[in-house]
Amino acid sequence: MADEIRRLSDDLARDPSSLVFMPLADALRRAGQLDIAMRVALRGLDRHPYLADAHDVLARIHADRGDLERAADEWEMALRLDPSHPQANLGLGFVDFRRGNLESAERRLSAAGASDQTGSVSAALAHVRTALGSRSENGTTDTGGATAVPNVTTAVESRVVEVPNAVVARMATPARNRIVTRMTPPSIAEYPAPDRAHARQLFSSVLDAADQSALLVDADGLVLAGTYADRSGLDVAEVVAAELAGVSSEAERAMRHLGLGAWTSLLVEADDAVVAMTPAPLGSLLVVATSRQTPVGLVRLLLDRALTRARDWLARVS
Amino acid sequence: MNRTPYAELLSMLSRHRGVVGSFVVSERDGLAVDSNVQIGVHAEAVAALAASLHRKARLACGAAGCGTVTFLRLDAEKGGICAAGRDDLVLVTISEARANIGLLRVEMMRAAKALT
Repeated sequence: MADEIRRLSDDLARDPSSLVFMPLADALRRAGQLDIAMRVALRGLDRHPYLADAHDVLARIHADRGDLERAADEWEMALRLDPSHPQANLGLGFVDFRRGNLESAERRLSAAGASDQTGSVSAALAHVRTALGSRSENGTTDTGGATAVPNVTTAVESRVVEVPNAVVARMATPARNRIVTRMTPPSIAEYPAPDRAHARQLFSSVLDAADQSALLVDADGLVLAGTYADRSGLDVAEVVAAELAGVSSEAERAMRHLGLGAWTSLLVEADDAVVAMTPAPLGSLLVVATSRQTPVGLVRLLLDRALTRARDWLARVS
Repeated sequence: MNRTPYAELLSMLSRHRGVVGSFVVSERDGLAVDSNVQIGVHAEAVAALAASLHRKARLACGAAGCGTVTFLRLDAEKGGICAAGRDDLVLVTISEARANIGLLRVEMMRAAKALT
Protein backbone atom coordinates (compact mmCIF):
# COMPACT_ATOMS: atom_id res chain seq x y z
CA MET A 1 0.00 0.00 0.00
CA ALA A 2 2.78 2.40 0.95
CA ASP A 3 4.59 1.66 -2.31
CA GLU A 4 1.43 2.25 -4.27
CA ILE A 5 0.84 5.58 -2.54
CA ARG A 6 4.44 6.62 -3.15
CA ARG A 7 4.25 5.68 -6.81
CA LEU A 8 0.95 7.50 -7.32
CA SER A 9 2.24 10.56 -5.44
CA ASP A 10 5.27 10.66 -7.73
CA ASP A 11 3.02 10.39 -10.77
CA LEU A 12 0.87 13.26 -9.52
CA ALA A 13 3.91 15.39 -8.75
CA ARG A 14 5.15 14.88 -12.31
CA ASP A 15 1.81 15.88 -13.80
CA PRO A 16 -0.44 17.74 -11.34
CA SER A 17 -3.23 17.95 -13.90
CA SER A 18 -3.36 14.18 -14.41
CA LEU A 19 -6.22 11.99 -13.27
CA VAL A 20 -3.96 10.02 -10.99
CA PHE A 21 -5.34 12.03 -8.07
CA MET A 22 -8.28 9.63 -8.01
CA PRO A 23 -6.40 6.39 -7.36
CA LEU A 24 -4.08 8.27 -5.01
CA ALA A 25 -6.94 9.69 -2.93
CA ASP A 26 -8.57 6.29 -2.85
CA ALA A 27 -5.35 4.55 -1.80
CA LEU A 28 -4.87 7.13 0.96
CA ARG A 29 -8.43 6.55 2.09
CA ARG A 30 -7.89 2.80 2.26
CA ALA A 31 -4.72 3.43 4.24
CA GLY A 32 -6.77 5.44 6.72
CA GLN A 33 -5.12 8.78 5.87
CA LEU A 34 -8.46 10.45 5.43
CA ASP A 35 -7.42 14.09 5.81
CA ILE A 36 -4.72 13.81 3.15
CA ALA A 37 -7.05 11.78 0.95
CA MET A 38 -9.62 14.55 1.24
CA ARG A 39 -7.11 17.23 0.28
CA VAL A 40 -5.93 15.26 -2.75
CA ALA A 41 -9.49 14.60 -3.91
CA LEU A 42 -10.60 18.21 -3.48
CA ARG A 43 -7.56 19.55 -5.28
CA GLY A 44 -8.18 17.13 -8.13
CA LEU A 45 -11.82 18.11 -8.32
CA ASP A 46 -10.81 21.74 -8.63
CA ARG A 47 -9.18 20.81 -11.92
CA HIS A 48 -11.62 18.12 -13.03
CA PRO A 49 -15.03 19.01 -11.60
CA TYR A 50 -16.98 16.95 -14.13
CA LEU A 51 -15.53 13.53 -13.38
CA ALA A 52 -18.11 11.23 -11.84
CA ASP A 53 -15.40 8.85 -10.62
CA ALA A 54 -13.71 11.69 -8.74
CA HIS A 55 -16.94 12.55 -6.93
CA ASP A 56 -17.31 8.86 -6.13
CA VAL A 57 -13.86 8.81 -4.54
CA LEU A 58 -14.65 11.91 -2.49
CA ALA A 59 -17.95 10.38 -1.41
CA ARG A 60 -16.13 7.33 -0.05
CA ILE A 61 -13.78 9.54 1.91
CA HIS A 62 -16.75 11.35 3.45
CA ALA A 63 -18.39 8.02 4.20
CA ASP A 64 -15.26 6.73 5.93
CA ARG A 65 -15.24 9.89 8.03
CA GLY A 66 -18.81 9.12 9.02
CA ASP A 67 -20.25 12.08 7.15
CA LEU A 68 -23.01 10.32 5.22
CA GLU A 69 -24.69 13.63 4.38
CA ARG A 70 -21.75 14.84 2.34
CA ALA A 71 -21.09 11.38 0.96
CA ALA A 72 -24.63 11.32 -0.38
CA ASP A 73 -24.15 14.79 -1.91
CA GLU A 74 -21.07 13.59 -3.78
CA TRP A 75 -22.69 10.40 -4.98
CA GLU A 76 -25.68 12.38 -6.17
CA MET A 77 -23.31 14.66 -8.08
CA ALA A 78 -21.63 11.60 -9.60
CA LEU A 79 -25.02 10.34 -10.74
CA ARG A 80 -25.85 13.69 -12.32
CA LEU A 81 -22.66 13.49 -14.31
CA ASP A 82 -23.09 9.82 -15.14
CA PRO A 83 -26.64 8.56 -14.46
CA SER A 84 -25.48 4.95 -14.86
CA HIS A 85 -22.59 5.22 -12.39
CA PRO A 86 -22.96 1.90 -10.52
CA GLN A 87 -20.86 2.74 -7.46
CA ALA A 88 -22.68 6.02 -6.87
CA ASN A 89 -25.94 4.13 -7.06
CA LEU A 90 -24.70 1.53 -4.59
CA GLY A 91 -23.32 4.18 -2.26
CA LEU A 92 -26.64 5.98 -2.20
CA GLY A 93 -28.37 2.65 -1.65
CA PHE A 94 -26.39 2.09 1.53
CA VAL A 95 -26.92 5.64 2.69
CA ASP A 96 -30.65 5.20 2.13
CA PHE A 97 -30.57 2.01 4.14
CA ARG A 98 -28.77 3.70 7.01
CA ARG A 99 -31.37 6.42 6.95
CA GLY A 100 -34.21 3.91 6.94
CA ASN A 101 -35.33 4.72 3.39
CA LEU A 102 -35.78 1.04 2.66
CA GLU A 103 -37.73 1.23 -0.59
CA SER A 104 -35.18 3.55 -2.13
CA ALA A 105 -32.32 1.42 -0.76
CA GLU A 106 -33.85 -1.72 -2.22
CA ARG A 107 -34.34 -0.06 -5.59
CA ARG A 108 -30.78 1.23 -5.77
CA LEU A 109 -29.08 -1.91 -4.50
CA SER A 110 -31.04 -4.22 -6.72
CA ALA A 111 -30.29 -1.97 -9.71
CA ALA A 112 -26.60 -2.81 -9.39
CA GLY A 113 -25.45 -4.80 -12.38
CA ALA A 114 -24.37 -8.42 -12.03
CA SER A 115 -20.69 -7.43 -11.97
CA ASP A 116 -21.35 -5.11 -9.02
CA GLN A 117 -23.40 -7.65 -7.07
CA THR A 118 -20.66 -8.59 -4.66
CA GLY A 119 -21.26 -10.62 -1.56
CA SER A 120 -21.62 -7.56 0.60
CA VAL A 121 -24.12 -5.98 -1.76
CA SER A 122 -26.13 -9.19 -1.87
CA ALA A 123 -26.02 -9.41 1.91
CA ALA A 124 -27.14 -5.81 2.26
CA LEU A 125 -29.93 -6.37 -0.21
CA ALA A 126 -31.07 -9.40 1.73
CA HIS A 127 -31.14 -7.31 4.92
CA VAL A 128 -33.11 -4.58 3.22
CA ARG A 129 -35.63 -7.04 1.87
CA THR A 130 -35.96 -8.73 5.23
CA ALA A 131 -36.49 -5.36 6.88
CA LEU A 132 -39.05 -4.41 4.26
CA GLY A 133 -40.83 -7.72 4.80
CA SER A 134 -40.96 -7.29 8.55
CA ARG A 135 -42.21 -3.75 8.16
CA SER A 136 -45.04 -4.82 5.89
CA GLU A 137 -45.98 -7.55 8.38
CA ASN A 138 -45.65 -5.50 11.61
CA GLY A 139 -46.23 -2.02 10.30
CA THR A 140 -42.88 -1.02 11.83
CA THR A 141 -39.51 -0.32 10.40
CA ASP A 142 -36.79 -2.73 11.40
CA THR A 143 -33.38 -1.41 10.51
CA GLY A 144 -31.74 -3.35 13.26
CA GLY A 145 -30.19 -5.45 10.56
CA ALA A 146 -28.09 -2.46 9.63
CA THR A 147 -25.57 -3.42 12.25
CA ALA A 148 -24.92 -6.62 10.37
CA VAL A 149 -24.61 -4.87 7.05
CA PRO A 150 -21.13 -3.95 5.87
CA ASN A 151 -20.31 -0.29 6.22
CA VAL A 152 -20.95 1.90 3.22
CA THR A 153 -17.51 1.94 1.67
CA THR A 154 -16.81 -1.71 2.42
CA ALA A 155 -19.90 -2.51 0.46
CA VAL A 156 -18.74 -0.60 -2.61
CA GLU A 157 -15.12 -1.64 -2.18
CA SER A 158 -15.11 -4.05 -5.11
CA ARG A 159 -14.72 -1.12 -7.45
CA VAL A 160 -11.85 0.43 -5.53
CA VAL A 161 -9.20 -1.62 -7.23
CA GLU A 162 -10.85 -1.16 -10.58
CA VAL A 163 -11.05 2.62 -10.45
CA PRO A 164 -7.32 3.20 -10.38
CA ASN A 165 -6.66 0.68 -13.12
CA ALA A 166 -9.33 2.14 -15.32
CA VAL A 167 -8.05 5.62 -14.73
CA VAL A 168 -4.45 4.75 -15.39
CA ALA A 169 -5.50 2.94 -18.54
CA ARG A 170 -7.35 6.02 -19.67
CA MET A 171 -4.38 8.21 -18.95
CA ALA A 172 -2.24 6.09 -21.21
CA THR A 173 -4.38 6.87 -24.22
CA PRO A 174 -5.08 10.10 -26.06
CA ALA A 175 -8.71 9.60 -25.17
CA ARG A 176 -8.05 11.08 -21.73
CA ASN A 177 -8.91 14.59 -22.79
CA ARG A 178 -11.97 13.38 -24.61
CA ILE A 179 -13.14 11.68 -21.45
CA VAL A 180 -12.93 14.95 -19.59
CA THR A 181 -14.52 17.10 -22.26
CA ARG A 182 -17.43 14.81 -23.00
CA MET A 183 -18.59 14.93 -19.42
CA THR A 184 -21.90 16.66 -19.09
CA PRO A 185 -21.70 19.95 -17.22
CA PRO A 186 -23.04 19.52 -13.72
CA SER A 187 -26.58 20.20 -12.77
CA ILE A 188 -25.73 22.12 -9.65
CA ALA A 189 -27.98 21.56 -6.72
CA GLU A 190 -27.74 25.10 -5.44
CA TYR A 191 -29.25 26.58 -8.59
CA PRO A 192 -32.23 28.74 -7.87
CA ALA A 193 -35.49 26.90 -8.33
CA PRO A 194 -36.93 27.32 -11.82
CA ASP A 195 -39.14 30.09 -10.62
CA ARG A 196 -39.30 32.94 -13.09
CA ALA A 197 -39.41 35.42 -10.22
CA HIS A 198 -35.89 34.29 -9.37
CA ALA A 199 -34.67 34.65 -12.92
CA ARG A 200 -33.05 38.00 -12.23
CA GLN A 201 -30.76 36.45 -9.61
CA LEU A 202 -29.90 33.44 -11.75
CA PHE A 203 -26.24 34.34 -12.18
CA SER A 204 -25.60 35.94 -8.78
CA SER A 205 -23.49 33.09 -7.43
CA VAL A 206 -21.61 32.65 -10.71
CA LEU A 207 -20.22 36.17 -10.75
CA ASP A 208 -17.21 37.05 -8.64
CA ALA A 209 -17.48 40.80 -8.21
CA ALA A 210 -19.91 43.68 -8.14
CA ASP A 211 -18.61 45.02 -11.46
CA GLN A 212 -19.81 41.91 -13.29
CA SER A 213 -23.18 41.36 -14.93
CA ALA A 214 -24.75 38.46 -16.76
CA LEU A 215 -27.82 38.45 -18.90
CA LEU A 216 -29.69 35.80 -20.87
CA VAL A 217 -31.47 37.22 -23.90
CA ASP A 218 -33.90 35.42 -26.18
CA ALA A 219 -33.77 35.50 -29.97
CA ASP A 220 -36.10 38.51 -30.07
CA GLY A 221 -33.95 40.61 -27.77
CA LEU A 222 -36.07 40.08 -24.67
CA VAL A 223 -34.52 39.45 -21.26
CA LEU A 224 -34.91 35.87 -20.05
CA ALA A 225 -32.80 36.04 -16.92
CA GLY A 226 -30.10 38.02 -15.16
CA THR A 227 -29.48 41.72 -14.78
CA TYR A 228 -27.24 44.30 -16.37
CA ALA A 229 -26.39 47.36 -14.35
CA ASP A 230 -24.58 50.38 -15.75
CA ARG A 231 -21.91 52.22 -13.80
CA SER A 232 -24.48 54.17 -11.82
CA GLY A 233 -26.17 50.93 -10.77
CA LEU A 234 -29.21 51.44 -13.01
CA ASP A 235 -30.55 48.21 -14.53
CA VAL A 236 -30.27 48.62 -18.29
CA ALA A 237 -30.87 44.96 -19.11
CA GLU A 238 -33.85 45.51 -21.36
CA VAL A 239 -32.16 48.18 -23.47
CA VAL A 240 -28.97 46.14 -23.85
CA ALA A 241 -30.98 43.04 -24.73
CA ALA A 242 -32.94 44.92 -27.36
CA GLU A 243 -29.75 46.25 -28.97
CA LEU A 244 -28.34 42.74 -29.11
CA ALA A 245 -31.36 41.19 -30.84
CA GLY A 246 -30.20 39.30 -33.88
CA VAL A 247 -26.53 39.11 -32.91
CA SER A 248 -26.68 35.33 -32.72
CA SER A 249 -28.20 34.89 -36.18
CA GLU A 250 -25.80 37.40 -37.76
CA ALA A 251 -22.79 35.71 -36.20
CA GLU A 252 -24.06 32.38 -37.41
CA ARG A 253 -24.59 33.71 -40.95
CA ALA A 254 -21.14 35.29 -41.05
CA MET A 255 -19.50 32.04 -40.03
CA ARG A 256 -21.57 30.10 -42.56
CA HIS A 257 -20.37 32.39 -45.35
CA LEU A 258 -16.80 31.83 -44.26
CA GLY A 259 -17.10 28.11 -43.62
CA LEU A 260 -15.49 28.50 -40.21
CA GLY A 261 -17.98 26.33 -38.33
CA ALA A 262 -20.36 27.31 -35.57
CA TRP A 263 -19.64 30.51 -33.69
CA THR A 264 -18.60 30.00 -30.11
CA SER A 265 -18.12 33.45 -28.60
CA LEU A 266 -18.17 37.15 -29.32
CA LEU A 267 -15.89 39.35 -27.25
CA VAL A 268 -16.32 43.10 -27.28
CA GLU A 269 -13.72 45.36 -25.70
CA ALA A 270 -14.90 48.87 -24.91
CA ASP A 271 -13.32 51.78 -23.07
CA ASP A 272 -14.86 50.84 -19.73
CA ALA A 273 -15.92 47.22 -20.05
CA VAL A 274 -15.35 43.86 -21.65
CA VAL A 275 -18.53 42.17 -22.86
CA ALA A 276 -18.56 38.52 -23.87
CA MET A 277 -21.40 36.65 -25.54
CA THR A 278 -22.05 33.07 -26.48
CA PRO A 279 -24.95 31.20 -28.04
CA ALA A 280 -27.18 29.53 -25.46
CA PRO A 281 -29.96 26.95 -25.85
CA LEU A 282 -33.27 27.76 -27.56
CA GLY A 283 -31.67 30.42 -29.76
CA SER A 284 -30.88 32.59 -26.78
CA LEU A 285 -27.76 34.65 -26.19
CA LEU A 286 -25.76 34.76 -22.98
CA VAL A 287 -24.02 38.04 -22.20
CA VAL A 288 -21.42 38.57 -19.49
CA ALA A 289 -19.92 42.01 -18.82
CA THR A 290 -17.01 42.93 -16.59
CA SER A 291 -14.95 45.99 -15.91
CA ARG A 292 -12.02 46.75 -18.23
CA GLN A 293 -9.60 45.66 -15.50
CA THR A 294 -10.77 42.05 -15.67
CA PRO A 295 -8.38 39.87 -17.67
CA VAL A 296 -9.98 38.67 -20.90
CA GLY A 297 -9.19 35.05 -20.05
CA LEU A 298 -11.19 35.36 -16.85
CA VAL A 299 -14.12 36.84 -18.76
CA ARG A 300 -14.24 33.73 -20.92
CA LEU A 301 -14.16 31.56 -17.81
CA LEU A 302 -17.08 33.50 -16.34
CA LEU A 303 -18.92 33.05 -19.61
CA ASP A 304 -18.46 29.27 -19.42
CA ARG A 305 -19.70 29.18 -15.85
CA ALA A 306 -22.72 31.31 -16.63
CA LEU A 307 -23.50 29.17 -19.67
CA THR A 308 -23.58 26.02 -17.55
CA ARG A 309 -26.06 27.69 -15.27
CA ALA A 310 -28.16 29.07 -18.12
CA ARG A 311 -28.38 25.65 -19.78
CA ASP A 312 -29.58 24.00 -16.61
CA TRP A 313 -32.10 26.72 -15.90
CA LEU A 314 -33.48 26.75 -19.44
CA ALA A 315 -33.82 22.98 -19.40
CA ARG A 316 -35.98 23.25 -16.31
CA VAL A 317 -38.16 26.21 -17.18
CA SER A 318 -38.71 25.48 -20.85
CA MET B 1 -12.23 47.46 -56.56
CA ASN B 2 -10.04 50.56 -57.04
CA ARG B 3 -6.94 51.09 -54.95
CA THR B 4 -7.61 53.22 -51.84
CA PRO B 5 -5.50 54.73 -49.05
CA TYR B 6 -6.18 51.53 -47.08
CA ALA B 7 -4.55 49.14 -49.53
CA GLU B 8 -1.19 49.07 -47.80
CA LEU B 9 -2.75 48.67 -44.37
CA LEU B 10 -4.91 45.77 -45.55
CA SER B 11 -1.98 44.14 -47.27
CA MET B 12 0.02 44.33 -44.07
CA LEU B 13 -2.79 42.73 -42.04
CA SER B 14 -3.29 40.00 -44.62
CA ARG B 15 0.32 38.97 -44.28
CA HIS B 16 -0.30 37.85 -40.69
CA ARG B 17 -0.24 34.11 -40.17
CA GLY B 18 -3.70 32.59 -40.63
CA VAL B 19 -5.34 35.78 -41.91
CA VAL B 20 -7.32 35.00 -45.07
CA GLY B 21 -8.79 38.43 -45.65
CA SER B 22 -9.04 41.96 -44.39
CA PHE B 23 -11.20 44.88 -45.34
CA VAL B 24 -12.37 48.33 -44.40
CA VAL B 25 -16.13 48.60 -44.27
CA SER B 26 -18.61 51.36 -43.62
CA GLU B 27 -20.53 50.57 -40.45
CA ARG B 28 -23.52 52.61 -41.59
CA ASP B 29 -24.33 50.76 -44.81
CA GLY B 30 -22.14 47.66 -44.57
CA LEU B 31 -20.39 48.36 -47.87
CA ALA B 32 -16.74 47.42 -48.20
CA VAL B 33 -14.54 50.44 -48.88
CA ASP B 34 -11.49 48.33 -49.68
CA SER B 35 -10.54 44.70 -49.25
CA ASN B 36 -7.66 42.30 -49.52
CA VAL B 37 -9.04 38.78 -49.45
CA GLN B 38 -8.03 35.38 -50.67
CA ILE B 39 -9.97 33.84 -53.53
CA GLY B 40 -13.17 32.18 -52.35
CA VAL B 41 -13.87 34.51 -49.43
CA HIS B 42 -17.30 36.14 -49.67
CA ALA B 43 -15.97 39.57 -48.80
CA GLU B 44 -19.10 41.61 -49.46
CA ALA B 45 -21.44 39.43 -47.42
CA VAL B 46 -19.02 39.06 -44.55
CA ALA B 47 -18.22 42.77 -44.58
CA ALA B 48 -21.88 43.62 -44.23
CA LEU B 49 -22.39 41.15 -41.39
CA ALA B 50 -19.25 42.26 -39.58
CA ALA B 51 -20.33 45.88 -39.86
CA SER B 52 -23.74 45.00 -38.51
CA LEU B 53 -22.22 43.10 -35.56
CA HIS B 54 -19.95 46.03 -34.81
CA ARG B 55 -22.91 48.39 -34.93
CA LYS B 56 -24.96 46.24 -32.56
CA ALA B 57 -22.03 45.94 -30.16
CA ARG B 58 -21.50 49.71 -30.28
CA LEU B 59 -25.16 50.45 -29.59
CA ALA B 60 -25.35 47.88 -26.79
CA CYS B 61 -22.20 49.26 -25.19
CA GLY B 62 -23.61 52.76 -25.51
CA ALA B 63 -26.83 51.66 -23.79
CA ALA B 64 -24.85 49.99 -21.01
CA GLY B 65 -22.55 52.96 -20.54
CA CYS B 66 -19.47 50.94 -21.44
CA GLY B 67 -17.94 53.63 -23.61
CA THR B 68 -16.58 53.27 -27.12
CA VAL B 69 -16.01 49.84 -28.63
CA THR B 70 -12.30 49.39 -29.31
CA PHE B 71 -12.10 45.80 -30.46
CA LEU B 72 -14.47 42.98 -31.33
CA ARG B 73 -13.69 39.35 -31.84
CA LEU B 74 -16.06 36.66 -33.08
CA ASP B 75 -14.71 33.16 -32.50
CA ALA B 76 -15.85 30.06 -34.32
CA GLU B 77 -14.74 26.44 -34.41
CA LYS B 78 -12.22 26.95 -37.20
CA GLY B 79 -11.34 30.62 -37.02
CA GLY B 80 -13.05 33.93 -36.58
CA ILE B 81 -13.46 37.60 -37.32
CA CYS B 82 -11.80 40.55 -35.62
CA ALA B 83 -12.98 44.13 -35.97
CA ALA B 84 -11.73 47.49 -34.78
CA GLY B 85 -13.58 50.66 -35.65
CA ARG B 86 -13.26 54.36 -35.71
CA ASP B 87 -16.13 56.71 -36.50
CA ASP B 88 -18.07 55.09 -39.34
CA LEU B 89 -15.23 52.88 -40.60
CA VAL B 90 -14.49 49.40 -39.34
CA LEU B 91 -11.35 47.44 -40.02
CA VAL B 92 -12.15 43.74 -40.27
CA THR B 93 -9.95 40.65 -40.58
CA ILE B 94 -10.96 37.06 -41.20
CA SER B 95 -8.62 34.50 -39.72
CA GLU B 96 -8.17 30.80 -39.35
CA ALA B 97 -7.66 29.14 -35.98
CA ARG B 98 -3.87 29.21 -36.34
CA ALA B 99 -3.74 33.02 -36.38
CA ASN B 100 -1.99 34.88 -33.55
CA ILE B 101 -4.98 36.85 -32.34
CA GLY B 102 -3.02 38.75 -29.72
CA LEU B 103 -0.65 40.17 -32.29
CA LEU B 104 -3.43 40.82 -34.76
CA ARG B 105 -5.41 42.65 -32.10
CA VAL B 106 -2.54 45.01 -31.33
CA GLU B 107 -1.95 45.72 -35.03
CA MET B 108 -5.63 46.29 -35.72
CA MET B 109 -6.18 48.63 -32.80
CA ARG B 110 -3.15 50.63 -33.85
CA ALA B 111 -4.29 50.69 -37.47
CA ALA B 112 -7.87 51.62 -36.57
CA LYS B 113 -6.63 54.86 -35.03
CA ALA B 114 -5.44 55.89 -38.48
CA LEU B 115 -8.79 55.23 -40.15
CA THR B 116 -10.39 58.39 -41.52
